[in-house]
Amino acid sequence: MSNINHKTYAMNAITPMKWWKTWIVRAFFFILGAVKPLQKDLVQLSFIHFARWVIIKRSKFPHICDEQPEEKLKYDYLLFFSNFNGTWNQYIDAFSAVLSTGLNLIWHWSEKFPGSVPVTPFKQYIARCQFDTDYYYTAYPYATTNDVKAAHRVQDGLDALEKESTGKTAEEFARSYGKFVLAVQCDLGQTGKAPVGT
Amino acid sequence: MSKLDATDIQGFVLRGYNLPFARYLFLEIADAQRARALIGKYLDQITTGEHWDAGKPEWTLNIAFTHKGLVNLNLPDASLLSFPVEFLQGMKARGEILSDTGKNAPDKWDAVWREGRVDIWLAVNAKAKATLDTLGAELQRIVDETGGAKIVGVQDAGSFWIDGAWSSKEHFGYTDGFGNPDFLGVERDTQPGQGKLMADGSWAPLATGELLLGYADEAGELPVAPIPHLLANNGTFMVYRKLHQNVATFRRYLEDKGKLYAGGKEKLASKFLGRWRDGTPVELSPDARDPALVKDPQRNVNFTFGNDSDGTRCPIGAHVRRTNPRDAFGFNGRLVNRRRITRRGLPYGPYVPEDQPVEDSGEHGIIFMALSASLFRQFEFVQQQWVEYGNDARLGNDKDLLLGNHEARDKHMIQGTEDPMNPPFVCGGLPNFVELRGGNYFFLPSMTALRMIAAGTVDPR
Amino acid sequence: MANQSGDVYGLTILSPILQDVNAETSHNCAIRMKLASLPNDESSPFAKVSSTHMARLVVMDDVVYVGMPSCEEHLKSQYLVFETNFDGDLDTYLTRMAREIPADVDAVWQHCWGYPGTKDLAAFIAYMKKCQITTTFYFADVNNHTVQETLTALQTQAAVATFIEKNQGKTAAELQTAFEHFLKKLHDAPPPIPGRPEKGGPPRIETNMKWGTRNAANTKQVTSNE
Repeated sequence: MSNINHKTYAMNAITPMKWWKTWIVRAFFFILGAVKPLQKDLVQLSFIHFARWVIIKRSKFPHICDEQPEEKLKYDYLLFFSNFNGTWNQYIDAFSAVLSTGLNLIWHWSEKFPGSVPVTPFKQYIARCQFDTDYYYTAYPYATTNDVKAAHRVQDGLDALEKESTGKTAEEFARSYGKFVLAVQCDLGQTGKAPVGT
Repeated sequence: MSKLDATDIQGFVLRGYNLPFARYLFLEIADAQRARALIGKYLDQITTGEHWDAGKPEWTLNIAFTHKGLVNLNLPDASLLSFPVEFLQGMKARGEILSDTGKNAPDKWDAVWREGRVDIWLAVNAKAKATLDTLGAELQRIVDETGGAKIVGVQDAGSFWIDGAWSSKEHFGYTDGFGNPDFLGVERDTQPGQGKLMADGSWAPLATGELLLGYADEAGELPVAPIPHLLANNGTFMVYRKLHQNVATFRRYLEDKGKLYAGGKEKLASKFLGRWRDGTPVELSPDARDPALVKDPQRNVNFTFGNDSDGTRCPIGAHVRRTNPRDAFGFNGRLVNRRRITRRGLPYGPYVPEDQPVEDSGEHGIIFMALSASLFRQFEFVQQQWVEYGNDARLGNDKDLLLGNHEARDKHMIQGTEDPMNPPFVCGGLPNFVELRGGNYFFLPSMTALRMIAAGTVDPR
Repeated sequence: MANQSGDVYGLTILSPILQDVNAETSHNCAIRMKLASLPNDESSPFAKVSSTHMARLVVMDDVVYVGMPSCEEHLKSQYLVFETNFDGDLDTYLTRMAREIPADVDAVWQHCWGYPGTKDLAAFIAYMKKCQITTTFYFADVNNHTVQETLTALQTQAAVATFIEKNQGKTAAELQTAFEHFLKKLHDAPPPIPGRPEKGGPPRIETNMKWGTRNAANTKQVTSNE
């Protein structure tokens, strides 16, 4: 089992919700999806590659054939899957420090959620609700989402430089090159091994 | 919040003494009962945080313990096991986290650290060198008399005497000692820029619990602390690291690269650290030294990076920006408030002026000591995520030029502008300028806790 | 649409796992054993289905009991959770799974209720869609580049960083020559391999330009104002 593949951590969490509270979470996500500025904090934190929330109504666990026993549940369940960079503690510390309102809006409706502030009971709740990944694959294990975004900026810059370099004199090229370096100078961090998980 | 009882807190925690001479003695405990008697004999001499009405004393004395030291003093198991995990393990076991590998690995350390022999740290700070010897002899006498411990190592450190005055320079020529954080309740000459950034741009002291156990921290809870309360309260944790400096290599690197960098050698040096070697903060004055700025407490720590997101004034990977990003990560600096440390270090080894020859093998370095309520969340985090790694600053795996345990492809990028005196410049082929020669994690108890330890009356509940 | 963010699709599948009291090894343990044996680097089956950015397989044993006053309840089956983030549309991806990695897919999913196997493509796709749960909210930081574009960009980034470092201080003519040489090598480089832990770009991209240190005194620093 491992939750970690080099730079990325695969977190899974499941929390129970009373069935009549589920629509509130859906409504909040609808607003979040429609109102892009609400996502800006998530984008600014910049350590999630992909994340998703999945609501499973209590009667909607997949039932494939008649022989399979049917689930009889009281609660709806909110599943959360995140692919993030950094350590478990770092991730939760950051969210608790700057995104607590958003987190509360999503998880307030889950049973016994203690709130995302202060951070220690929040971490204990997550530890209770988290279940471990058995197999985790990433196509770019040595790159964080920051690295990916930086790489695309460099690629775009290089493509542009290549285009405008045809038929230029050495001096003209050197000028374009200088501008290119200024444009990508913040995006040249090397990729590599991840710090040890703590 | 209630006022801090400064007489219960060791002075070393609450203030940097700014005394020029220091001697650290390392003791190994042989017998718990006699070692407790030894501590009992020192008790009255330990310097507390009390106000110095008559000016600085001739000397100060402070004491701290590794976890092994507390074990050897026979504290009850329940208390011993309630200390935070990283303190229990000790710094040597945390090597993978701290990048204390390769050139910084324990097999390169001084024997006393490599063998894990240190139980007690005794620190003497003094106005005069002779006082160190006198006090050292007195401490040795008490050690011999009580017979419960042995002095297994001694480390001297001290400021440099340059041009007729005590200097706060270190061996690479940088002026050190700026930027220790302000804490609620700790009396100090506050300077804007030391605390945490508020929404209106002003600075406020950090929560007391970022430094001291038993008080609320920046997350609105109490930091992880050992039981019972009386053992933990008013105490703190310290990391001690003997950092050897390869002065010759540094000077050569600066010289070589300084010839290639259009801004010149001193400006290049400023771009490594984030301050010019005279202490001028690069963010406020990227093109020239400014002695008036250095001397002005209202300005010399008072800056943010919000208007410098592309690092063209202060490089994104510069040391001061890595270790205290202020508002560089957005959110008005809130991601940084629980990652601050209080530094108390001093250089060791003789000062060698720039124009004199020097060897890497010479005894030159810094005794780096930093205090924080949580080693894991504060020191270890900064070391692992911001010094030996750069993702939060969007620098990938690039490491701090001065401190980093560099691998073959490591570099420090100096962001530039179209100004020919401020070009973009890559500092590649980085050697290890600093090498770790040992250290450990220590617990600095309050005076109350010390008395309990000396009397053997620590009770877990 | 909820499962999609830009060009990336977020597939969430919950497949109920068989329970057999007579089995020597329970089905969920068998799945775990199989997953433990699968490589998760460039030899991973998901590297072969190369439109996969990130994918995970998780045996979910049960729902969680958070404590009183909440009620305790349990699932009647365990579920195999498959969470994947990929380029393109669902049908194409499922088809690739069935066609390119059938042995691994069958080995894992054979332990699930009603699993038809990969041989009958239509049945396989229908089964997977029956197990699919619609994502309520999907966040993708980078959702407009394929896996291959991202890997290429990472390779480029490393090569560019090395180029800039090695050609610092060169004259304009030297720079232009070096750049042409560099571009050619970059374009000729084989496409990077998904799933491979690769530090900062493979050496074959680097140019052979020497360090300028020894020539420092004679080399004019090139700036954009020249």
